[in-house]
Amino acid sequence: MQGIADLFQKYFSFSIIREILPFLLKGALLTVFFSATSEIIGIIIGLTTSVIRVTRIKVLSQLAVAYVDLFRGTPLLMQIIFVYYALPYLGINLPATVAGIVALSVNSGAYVSEIFRAGIESIDKGQTEAARSLGMSYMQAMRYVVIPQTIKRVLPPLTNEFVALIKDSSLLSVIAIAELMRTAKEMMTWKMNPSSLTAAAIIYLIITLPLTRYVSYMEKKLKKSEA
Amino acid sequence: MIKIVDLHKKFGHLHVLKGVNLEIKKGEVWVIIGPSGSGKSTLLRSINLLEEPTSGKIFFDDLEITSKKVNKDKVRQRIGMVFQSFNLFPHMNVLGNVTLALLKVLKMKPEKAKKIGVGLLTRVGLKDKIEAYPNQLSGGQKQRVAIARALAMNPDAMLFDEVTSALDPELVKEVLDVMKDLAKSGMTMLVVTHEMGFAKEVGSHVIFMDEGQIVEEGIASELFENPRHPRTKAFLDAVLY
Ligand SMILES: Nc1ncnc2c1ncn2[C@@H]1O[C@H](COP(=O)(O)OP(=O)(O)OP(=O)(O)O)[C@@H](O)[C@H]1O
Ligand SMILES: [Mg+2]
Repeated sequence: MQGIADLFQKYFSFSIIREILPFLLKGALLTVFFSATSEIIGIIIGLTTSVIRVTRIKVLSQLAVAYVDLFRGTPLLMQIIFVYYALPYLGINLPATVAGIVALSVNSGAYVSEIFRAGIESIDKGQTEAARSLGMSYMQAMRYVVIPQTIKRVLPPLTNEFVALIKDSSLLSVIAIAELMRTAKEMMTWKMNPSSLTAAAIIYLIITLPLTRYVSYMEKKLKKSEA
Repeated sequence: MIKIVDLHKKFGHLHVLKGVNLEIKKGEVWVIIGPSGSGKSTLLRSINLLEEPTSGKIFFDDLEITSKKVNKDKVRQRIGMVFQSFNLFPHMNVLGNVTLALLKVLKMKPEKAKKIGVGLLTRVGLKDKIEAYPNQLSGGQKQRVAIARALAMNPDAMLFDEVTSALDPELVKEVLDVMKDLAKSGMTMLVVTHEMGFAKEVGSHVIFMDEGQIVEEGIASELFENPRHPRTKAFLDAVLY
């Protein structure tokens, strides 16, 4: 019994949580800002590179493949550190905020690229052929026929990727960005009590839960519509 | 109007078209019959440049469309194609399907495109379905939309690849009727089909293909009555019972 009482005292101290909540909410706002911005840029990068890959334009598509492999195959933490600490040696000095967005966007772009590629390839070849037989160019067929149909299919995996990105944005704490995770750690040191981590975890859940629910809902709906 | 000279197509080691020669004049309706795998679809797809010939040439009104220099998109605008599997765009309604190319390829004004679309859908008997989505249509209706969609570009010739094969028997007639009308209106047509009744009634010429070659070709009425080649005869006996 004593153990449980201690656990509560240590990890669920309401008085501390009440006091630090405004700071945490500010951190949460940054978390949402960084992940949302990076997701949007990531979608632009991912969509572009996926189209390049399915067209099989020689050099370009090989570059796109290399990009996806590189950023999916190495830890995000390493990518963040590299962008912030190593690029200055090449004369590229980015403020932490920009470096953070760059690293997250480029990383999520690689995952989004994979999602879109799978989406595009899941559309029946007959769709492109019908579009081409009407005289549309390859790009027109992609833009007006194939990609609009992939949107519905990629929405669930894309949202999953967004959830992952929200959690991964906690890695930005290593370049001193005061997002939710870093704020929580600072509060922990300040109060010498880890209740801030508990509160942060709950905030992460409040942000991600609607998204994960939405994915399940969409997937069910999709299954029905394609059955 | 369409002239094919010694057309060969290989898929890897598979030699699918082995020297096809053909000349089709304006307003003729050519029916292509032949066993499965004989290369009928590949021939049609080559004419629409969906397949690249391994060798040989295809001319369309004196323009060599198999030439590297030719703009394939422009050529395809002049040759309509209808597929066995409809391939309607499921994210657009019927009118959207029919007008898409008018809007995006020809950059036509929406009102004008709509007028053409409604006109064509009326012609194929689907005026009351213009707002419907493809998944709300029967197979026969879908195929009629696909025909209207191809006609929207006002092509000089139309290719039909077994367009009634995926349909329930009772829906075949409505599609064939549309094609009959089209033939009567003077459209140049190439039709791959198993519908021998249609072939006899509407076809001006018939080609019997087997193993990548044209075994026999001729005026429809003559070929059906008096097939000269034993393989043609065997095939016709089999499909006509
Ligand atoms: N893209 C392709 N790659 C490899 N082989 C192919 C391809 N397309 C067609 N073939 C082969 O070419 C041959 C001829 O095919 P095609 O579709 O032209 O025949 P078909 O006469 O239309 O037959 P069916 O009556 O069954 O439609 C078949 O053996 C087929 O497997
Ligand atoms: Mg075929």
